[in-house]
Amino acid sequence: MSIAVLLILAIAAFLAGLGGSYLGVGGGVFLIPFMTLALSVNIKVAIATSLIGVIATSSGAASVYVRDHLTNLRLAMFLEVATTLGAIAGALVGLGTPDFYLYLVFGVVVLYAATTMVRVRETAKERAYRGGGEESPLTKRLRLSSVYFDREDQGVYRYRVERPVAGFGVSAAAGLFSGLLGVGGGFIKVPAMNVLMRVPMKAAVATSNFMIGVTAAASAFIYYSQGLVDPGLAAMVIIGVFSGTNLGTRLLEHAKSSNVRFAFALFLVVLGTAMVARLFLPGVPI
Amino acid sequence: MITARVGLRIVQQRASNLRRAVVAEVEDMNRLIYHVLRAGVVVSVAILLFGFVLVAFTGHPIPQQSIPPRALGRPLFTFTPEGYLSLGVLILIFTPVVRVFLSLVSFARERDRQYLLMTAIVFANLLVSLFLLA
Repeated sequence: MSIAVLLILAIAAFLAGLGGSYLGVGGGVFLIPFMTLALSVNIKVAIATSLIGVIATSSGAASVYVRDHLTNLRLAMFLEVATTLGAIAGALVGLGTPDFYLYLVFGVVVLYAATTMVRVRETAKERAYRGGGEESPLTKRLRLSSVYFDREDQGVYRYRVERPVAGFGVSAAAGLFSGLLGVGGGFIKVPAMNVLMRVPMKAAVATSNFMIGVTAAASAFIYYSQGLVDPGLAAMVIIGVFSGTNLGTRLLEHAKSSNVRFAFALFLVVLGTAMVARLFLPGVPI
Repeated sequence: MITARVGLRIVQQRASNLRRAVVAEVEDMNRLIYHVLRAGVVVSVAILLFGFVLVAFTGHPIPQQSIPPRALGRPLFTFTPEGYLSLGVLILIFTPVVRVFLSLVSFARERDRQYLLMTAIVFANLLVSLFLLA
């Protein structure tokens, strides 16, 4: 790898960190297509490197969200039981999977992630506490419901966590994809928390961001022990992501996101299509 | 003799102190997690940058192969870039492990059995992945 290539990677990682912290989606989802398509990195090395980037996103962004009380620490701890188990299984499956299928699954997953990003903006009314009915027994027992402070409209929002068991199951799947493909799995967890468990969007993004570090660490050890971590690439990714998250966390807390979100979604569609298309182009080594 | 009003005020005062203590404890934990995660990334980035400085000054090529934790001693003492780049990456991977360990201690101190159990499972999973194929 030449210095120029590594610098390009650092810039890509900066954007990945920005997207990952700001949108809750898009650390690895951007980095892996970029490394495999533009830099011709082996896909398993790209997955291992991306996992490192995911940890950097999580540590950089999550710390700020924890300090600012956006993160639901109890909910995170509860779901991490599922994500870490999934991540170990995912990494073991990933190591034994031929590259062809990794490309294919990744392409499909990226296209799916693109659809989750085009969502309607959450209004204050939707954030507001939904009364009526009984809290689920497990939510009550584990005290999962919480509050968060939204800086954008200066509101304090109390929310009740619904369907904890379903959320636990989806988190196991998110962990599996994380270990298998080297992504954080935010594109699964954020919609799951927001739609299924009815956690407000910002709290969902912050909590997902907090969880992906531990999830990625569980599979990163496995990839590292197999010698798949390229320290030069990983170093560039960490440095780039770290700078990106510093900016991204500031954006999440203050700014509006719909336009950026749409642009990222379009970009993802292009990347996903390119990943799948690559498989069927003649003469391209995988 | 204590009048009812004074009694009530004392009780209210105690309740409010207790509440403040609980809030302070949660606040401490959040702060601690913030500092640990932050410090992990910052230290990692600093060591990686030092690794690249070594690349620039020693003329070693940028390494493509990471070094297993056990074999790190020598490359660190001889100031080779691969040692420092691997160390920086490893510190970053270990940061979430430290965070989970701190949560474990915190739940143990609060005697919160349910969350202590969950955190212990997560910590065990991390240890399993650390030693599984190593």
